[in-house]
Amino acid sequence: MAALCIVLVSACTRRKPDESNRKVVGFAINTLNNPFFVDMKLGAETAASEAGIEVLIQATEREMDVEKQVHILENLIQRNVHVLCVTPNGSKEIIPAILKANARNIPFIVVDSRVDQRALKDAGGWIASFVGSDNDEGGQLAGEFVAQRLGGKGDVAILEGPAGHETGDSRLRGFRQAIAKVPALKVVSSQLAGFDRSQGYSVFQNILVAHPAVRAVFACNDLMALGAVEAIAAAGKTGEIIVVGFDAIDEAREAIRQGSMHASIAQYPAEMGRVAVQTAVRLLKGEPISSEIPTKIRLITQENLGMTDGH
Amino acid sequence: MTHRKQLLQGRDSGTILSLLVLCSVLSAVSPHFLTLPNLVNVAQQSTIIAIIAAGMTFVIISGGIDLSVGSLVALSGLVAADVLQRGVSVPLAVLLALLTGFAAGIVNGVLVARAHLPPFIATLGTMSVARGGALMYVGGGSISGFGSDFRFLAHDAIVGVPVPVVMMVLVFAVGHVVLTKTRLGRYAYAIGGNETAAVLAGINVQMYKTLIYGICGMLSGLAAVVLTARLNSAQSVAGTMYELDAIAATVIGGTSLLGGRGTMVGTLIGALIMGVLRNGLNLLDVPSYVQQVVIGSVIIAAVYIDLSLKRRAS
Repeated sequence: MAALCIVLVSACTRRKPDESNRKVVGFAINTLNNPFFVDMKLGAETAASEAGIEVLIQATEREMDVEKQVHILENLIQRNVHVLCVTPNGSKEIIPAILKANARNIPFIVVDSRVDQRALKDAGGWIASFVGSDNDEGGQLAGEFVAQRLGGKGDVAILEGPAGHETGDSRLRGFRQAIAKVPALKVVSSQLAGFDRSQGYSVFQNILVAHPAVRAVFACNDLMALGAVEAIAAAGKTGEIIVVGFDAIDEAREAIRQGSMHASIAQYPAEMGRVAVQTAVRLLKGEPISSEIPTKIRLITQENLGMTDGH
Repeated sequence: MTHRKQLLQGRDSGTILSLLVLCSVLSAVSPHFLTLPNLVNVAQQSTIIAIIAAGMTFVIISGGIDLSVGSLVALSGLVAADVLQRGVSVPLAVLLALLTGFAAGIVNGVLVARAHLPPFIATLGTMSVARGGALMYVGGGSISGFGSDFRFLAHDAIVGVPVPVVMMVLVFAVGHVVLTKTRLGRYAYAIGGNETAAVLAGINVQMYKTLIYGICGMLSGLAAVVLTARLNSAQSVAGTMYELDAIAATVIGGTSLLGGRGTMVGTLIGALIMGVLRNGLNLLDVPSYVQQVVIGSVIIAAVYIDLSLKRRAS
């Protein structure tokens, strides 16, 4: 039994000989089940090989598994990485891990989803920089699109991300703000669907029964939007309901091309990953960095689908 | 006493009562609940957990537990999706998904029956192995986009009844017959009731236990087919936590976690209770944090009603 353990562990660790002079950046990424983070990983790897450093990328299986992410961070800190880049799974929950990195003087770069500033300050922690797009603004773009497509009136539904998830919450805030500016637009239902395709399907199917007059749905990520698209198809209402997602993953772009989805908000995850690692490299060289590094955000519709700008 | 009478009035009456109470409350508070399209939705939304729970019922009656079912859903779904995209015909893809589930289930069975690992631990291990396998299979991603000949498995209806609901009814009809009329079913009760006695009575306990886990895995494969067709996508994190929903449906349905007791009808009603509950909470726009509290409380109440009716009966 013990022999088996040794064989298994050594089989898994053998392939990376330790080059101790090489700088190492640890990158704790949300989940590789979402193509968004797969793109981010590719961007990070490209930037790392360009700069000739090593990047250790580790992901949790599920989007909101904060505890496992904290374990990943502790392990990376234990391995003495030189800089940590993290897309937080929880805006408050990862603060203890930040404090541990602070204690070891490992610079901490937050990517994509923000950490609760106030809680961090109260705990006496600090981060080196935030790299990411403004999710709040993205939500507003989505809300303005819905308002325009509905001609300023009608019932709207929302599929929310996991409860207490900062990224989903700020998209939601932005969207609600934009909708609130148009008095004849009404949010009739706003429910959790966990950033999950299967839940997006069944929750929206139920919303359609309770609110048959719904004319638009905003999902805080594309996976839920794609679930809603299937629910709309099952109800025989394809094309009758405006569907807006977030992230503009390839499948969502395809759905927009076909007309079963109408818009999504593109962020540029590959750019985020690249900029995060480049920022880490600048830190390692002792160059100054900004505490806030914005990346691009854009509304994708059928009209501008073909235009490429760095995706 | 006829068997039918026992079926409807005896063992499953508590579960049926719970479902009826839940439905009457929901139809009183939401005008949308008791409509044909909504009831069809509920049946459809319940199919995946129900089909998994059918296999779980066999396992729990025989005194075991299977925590790996959710991971097997992910793995079997990916196999079906992968071979479909390589141009394999739909029936063959479905068969391969069932075989994947069955083979993994047999591994569970061998670990439990031959290696004598506690079922909780053996299937906890395979749960992790299968999930990791699914994640490795597609690098953590998903496989999407299938032809209409596959998607019909979730989206079409046979005389107004959605195909997945037809599948669910068939699974439970066959499961009921197997459990009550065949050697496999009677031995499942015998093994769960008293394994030592079953061995002494000359039952090949190892073989039957292994087979029971195999069936449970195969039904997870079937659930995976429905899920993949419904979402037009197979994902490596699909089915996360489904094991708990399936166990809850089975136990709400009156199956004893100690083994030796349980029915197919009960499990079907148990799965419907879970489905009705989730549907009703969405229809009422119940705030999401409250939903979790309600779901937990109803599970406890349903099992309590069932147990106290049984106590009174005996």
